[in-house]
Amino acid sequence: MIKLEKIWKIYDTGEVKVEALQGIDLEINKGEFISIIGASGSGKSTMMNILGCLDKPTKGTYKLSDNYIENLDEDELAKMRSENIGFVFQTFNLVPRVTAFHNVELPLIYSRVKLSERKKRVIESLERVGLDDRMHHKPNQLSGGQKQRVAIARALINSPSILLADEPTGNLDSETTVEIMKIFKKLNDEGVTVIIVTHELDIAAMTNRQITFRDGKIIKDEVIKF
Amino acid sequence: MNFIESIKIALKALWINKMRSILTMLGIIIGISSVITVVALGNGMKGAVNSEFDNYGASSIYIFNSFSEELYNEDLVTLDDYDELGRVFEKYINAKSVMINYSGTTYKIEDVKESVKLDVQGVSEEYNEIMNFTLVKGRFLTEQDINSRKNVAVIDKKLALEQFGKEDVLGEKLNISRNNGSDTFIIVGLFEPAKSLLPTMGEETQIVYIPMTTAARLLDLSNQIYYMNFTLSNDVDANEIIEQMISVLERRHKNVGQEKFAGQSAEGQLEIVNGIVKIVTSVVGAIAAISLFVGGIGIMNIMLVSVTERTREIGIRKAIGATRKDILVQFLIEAIVISGIGGIIGTVLGIMLSKIVSHFMKIPATTGILIIIIATLFSTIVGIIAGLYPANKAAKLDPIDALRYE
Repeated sequence: MIKLEKIWKIYDTGEVKVEALQGIDLEINKGEFISIIGASGSGKSTMMNILGCLDKPTKGTYKLSDNYIENLDEDELAKMRSENIGFVFQTFNLVPRVTAFHNVELPLIYSRVKLSERKKRVIESLERVGLDDRMHHKPNQLSGGQKQRVAIARALINSPSILLADEPTGNLDSETTVEIMKIFKKLNDEGVTVIIVTHELDIAAMTNRQITFRDGKIIKDEVIKF
Repeated sequence: MNFIESIKIALKALWINKMRSILTMLGIIIGISSVITVVALGNGMKGAVNSEFDNYGASSIYIFNSFSEELYNEDLVTLDDYDELGRVFEKYINAKSVMINYSGTTYKIEDVKESVKLDVQGVSEEYNEIMNFTLVKGRFLTEQDINSRKNVAVIDKKLALEQFGKEDVLGEKLNISRNNGSDTFIIVGLFEPAKSLLPTMGEETQIVYIPMTTAARLLDLSNQIYYMNFTLSNDVDANEIIEQMISVLERRHKNVGQEKFAGQSAEGQLEIVNGIVKIVTSVVGAIAAISLFVGGIGIMNIMLVSVTERTREIGIRKAIGATRKDILVQFLIEAIVISGIGGIIGTVLGIMLSKIVSHFMKIPATTGILIIIIATLFSTIVGIIAGLYPANKAAKLDPIDALRYE
């Protein structure tokens, strides 16, 4: 489903040239539960941006659901994100001052889903993360765990190919971390492909496949369990 | 994202910053309402002036001594000139009169409650046709009154009511005093002037018409008159007739080419007055438009602030699938909603303001649907122009940078 071949990402600021990714080859299949691990500066964030179609590689090919990402323009990338990617961020990144319901609804608005259908799907999605009773609360009325669950509901709403989570538990206490990881596990069991970028090894340990980055290269790619 | 959705999102965003939105709108509100007020009053004035001239008839002309030249006794327009012009141009003239109005003489009615300032005008028996006023009682001056220089008067109905307390004043005596004597007139008619929409400038005076020959005799003017007034048949060129009349007068007075006489058509006066109204409206309108422009800058400014404040939100929206167009439209619509609502409030306020000004300054105001459409359209355009740059800035943000923005 995802195939990366010889992916390079080079940031050229004029004075210094940073090779954030150096010829990454990677294949990810549907239904996998993956963690991408690495220290800061290892290239894992760049990897996540490229996987999430937020950025294009300098060199190499990235095939996602039969599309070659490097050939797309900015609006086509936006369409790819809307249809194939669900993002979960460390800082939740909910739109402030609008309700949980509206936050979850947003991707549907951008993918032009009709109003009548939107309501049904938003409620379904919030039910999947167990937050349907908080849908009319605004982000500042929710706890960290609840915010992250809203973010997950939002990421799921368009039935994406991949759920991309960038340090999803970085701002949560250990109890909530377990709770959120359980949700990811449950979604994975339901068939969602989940990729978690993290630097915490105990989080990585909960996934099925660990890919370790260092200096822009994959140094370890091991399948832990099936 | 569809249009209604965008408007909803824009309204939501504006509602969150209520105070800021209102203050931003204020610029547009002030701009639009002042433009509407000025245009409404300008149009009202123009309409009033036009209907005023309709009363007199656009085909009337005036011939008089040119005030800009030094005048000698032999240059002054006389009743003989008037008779001669009437005879020469008879087939072009519908009605004719002179107006003897010796300025500087104060007339007062004696034996009444209080003295009033009167405007006593010596005119011909055809003057009522020129002025288009309604005779309420009795008769107007007749040819016989003119020929035998009778002491008769036709007075304003208002004057009769004020001074005699009744309308039935025919046959009553009217004593009018002036600087060096006093005269008695018999009231033969009552008239009501054509309704004027224009504000009366200065003190209101009451008009009394007496035969022009009587006025000349009493004032001992040795035939000198104030000005001549003719209404022409519709098919003649007023300016052409004026020129010809002046050349007849110049030959009679042997002052050809010295420009001692001048003429004015009502049409020409109308153009002059309309021209002045137009200039005033344009100048004040331009000032009002500047305030609209400043309002537009206010919108642009606040939109730029809003884009910066919401950089992260823009990043989020982009990450979850918003295209550049979606973001552009969102911010553009926000700007248009501010200016549009401001425009609507401004329009309502402007209409109210013009009615209030109209009421207190006795100037007519005309607000049409056209003004409202133009104002709304204009404020929307201001919104688009003001919103375009900030919206484009927002749309061009890189999602990764925007998400990282603190």
